[in-house]
Amino acid sequence: MAQLSLRNIRKSFKSVQVLHGIDLDINEREFVVFVGPSGCGKSTLLRLIAGLDPITEGEFHLNGRLMNGVAPSRRGIAMVFQSYALYPHMDVYENMAFGARLMGLTPQEVEARIAEAARMLQLTPLLKRRPRELSGGQRQRVAIGRALVRKPDLFLLDEPLSNLDAALRSEVRLEIARLHQQLGATMIYVTHDQVEAMTLADRIVVMNQGRIEQVGSPRELYERPANTFVATFIGSPRMTLIPVTHAGEQLTLEGAGSVAPGQLPASPDGRLTLGVRPDALAITRATDGDEGFAASVIYTEYLGDNAYVYARLGDGTQVSVRTGPDVQFAADEAVTVSVRPGGAHFFSAEDGKRLVA
Amino acid sequence: MPKLRMTGRGLWITLLIVPPMAFVALFIVYPILLAFAYAFFDWQGLRRGDFVWLENFHTVLFVEPYRSWTLNAFKNNVIVFFALMVLQNGLGFLLAYALWREMPGARFHRIAVFLPVVLSTIIVAYLFKLFYHPLFGVINISLRSIGMGWLAQPWLGQGNTALWGLIAAQAWHMVGFPTLVFLAGMQRIPGEILDAVRMETESEWVKITKIVWPLVAPSATIVFTLLFVGAFNWFELPYIMAGLDGSPFGSTDVLGLYFYRTAFGNVSAGQQDFGLGSALAVLIFIFIAIFATTLTIRLRRREIQL
Repeated sequence: MAQLSLRNIRKSFKSVQVLHGIDLDINEREFVVFVGPSGCGKSTLLRLIAGLDPITEGEFHLNGRLMNGVAPSRRGIAMVFQSYALYPHMDVYENMAFGARLMGLTPQEVEARIAEAARMLQLTPLLKRRPRELSGGQRQRVAIGRALVRKPDLFLLDEPLSNLDAALRSEVRLEIARLHQQLGATMIYVTHDQVEAMTLADRIVVMNQGRIEQVGSPRELYERPANTFVATFIGSPRMTLIPVTHAGEQLTLEGAGSVAPGQLPASPDGRLTLGVRPDALAITRATDGDEGFAASVIYTEYLGDNAYVYARLGDGTQVSVRTGPDVQFAADEAVTVSVRPGGAHFFSAEDGKRLVA
Repeated sequence: MPKLRMTGRGLWITLLIVPPMAFVALFIVYPILLAFAYAFFDWQGLRRGDFVWLENFHTVLFVEPYRSWTLNAFKNNVIVFFALMVLQNGLGFLLAYALWREMPGARFHRIAVFLPVVLSTIIVAYLFKLFYHPLFGVINISLRSIGMGWLAQPWLGQGNTALWGLIAAQAWHMVGFPTLVFLAGMQRIPGEILDAVRMETESEWVKITKIVWPLVAPSATIVFTLLFVGAFNWFELPYIMAGLDGSPFGSTDVLGLYFYRTAFGNVSAGQQDFGLGSALAVLIFIFIAIFATTLTIRLRRREIQL
């Protein structure tokens, strides 16, 4: 179990600054996911926590101990790498025993720990195989097993599922969630996939361009995104952002009509960004006098239990609308898109910050 | 019978393959076969005499003084091989590791270490001959200037230091080659594997012996085998620095010099015997072929596909 505190962490590679002051606390037993687009600094932050790269500025405490400058092997941390990084010249047993032996454990202890990890991860029949003779999913389990035998305070997982195919991915995802429950260890997990983040995390840290955009539970991020970046990053298909002007109760999109989604926040110049998720939009065939935005259908995506209709509003903004599976629209058909009550998010037109009605 | 048709592609391949094949056949395969044949004849100068079966081989291996000469040269080759294994390949591995870990000045040293390899052997040999000069060589002058003049000696003029002098020159000349090969091998090791080791230990010794060394096994196969072949074919450097006789008193005599002297004669002895020379060449060839093959096969077995 581990408790982390990151204070004003900055990281520069030569003259390029990639992390601009990260402040974050992580509690014991927490499963925290760093998520963000590639290049946002999430893997860099993980490597700083691991000690693989030095921290340029700021302080990192682990269980109250300052960790800046402490060697990775002395931090009580285990890491699972994206490529698994198994030692190709050692069999599964040796891969797991290598680190355990270096910790100074007795041979009996090493043996016992490996047996336990192998049982948990169903690796027992594979112990004598070399990494080359294993499938992707098996390698992944060995990599996790190698971390397990060290009984670390903190697990770091760097995009551990990105080299697996879709079916295996959800299977291993479940496995990781189960392990976290079983071990009760603190885990930090890096991914660019918001579905992994949503399903695994106790708390998600959304990062963008070397900064934290928002920290919160999956539900918080989904229901109350702090800004347009988080709003569009979390949720699939993504939230539609519509630039509107407001007068009274009405939100107007130039050349497309207007909607009245209920109570509106104050905005000094009457401009707002309206954000709506696909499930908060409704779509109907256009008839005169509708309330809503006029749009034309681009394409309908049929998914079995529901369907997504993609349409273009008058100003060119593309929206996605979730509908029942029976809805059929032809391409270029004229439709009206309206906002369901309570389904609207409002953001400042200037800086994209969330506005509260 | 299938008809052999020359398509455009086939024509190109033929055009590209035939000239080098012809070259190899004419200047490498043919002389080797010729040497095999010559070894079975008695020779008077350039005139071929009787077919003598294995008598030439018997002479160089079992008849004095050839027997002692052969053994002495072979023994020196063995010393050279093992010494260079440590000085050239061992040092090369450590240098490669230092360069790979980006120690300070790695960029400069990467070039500096490889630069001597580019130099011609004759330049290196003359340079080291000057370094070793008993009176005005830089080594003895340096020793004297720091008050260790008692260590100054005629390095190439005495039996117990001459061969080591040549070995040092050779190691300096070629250390960049194994360094380069090992460095290339190390750079193929995925960065995450190294990160994974760093998560488990900070000991460089463990990293080198348990991870890096096993993973650069393919590089080791290459440099070990090439060094073996090179050490037993060693000729240019001793020829230039110690002369055809392997002076002083045969202390730097190696199989290459001995073969050349026997086959083509030298200034002092004037004797020339193609039969014995060819027999020696054939023996060296067979020895190298068998050992190099065995070595390669054994080293191949411990290689790991990354």
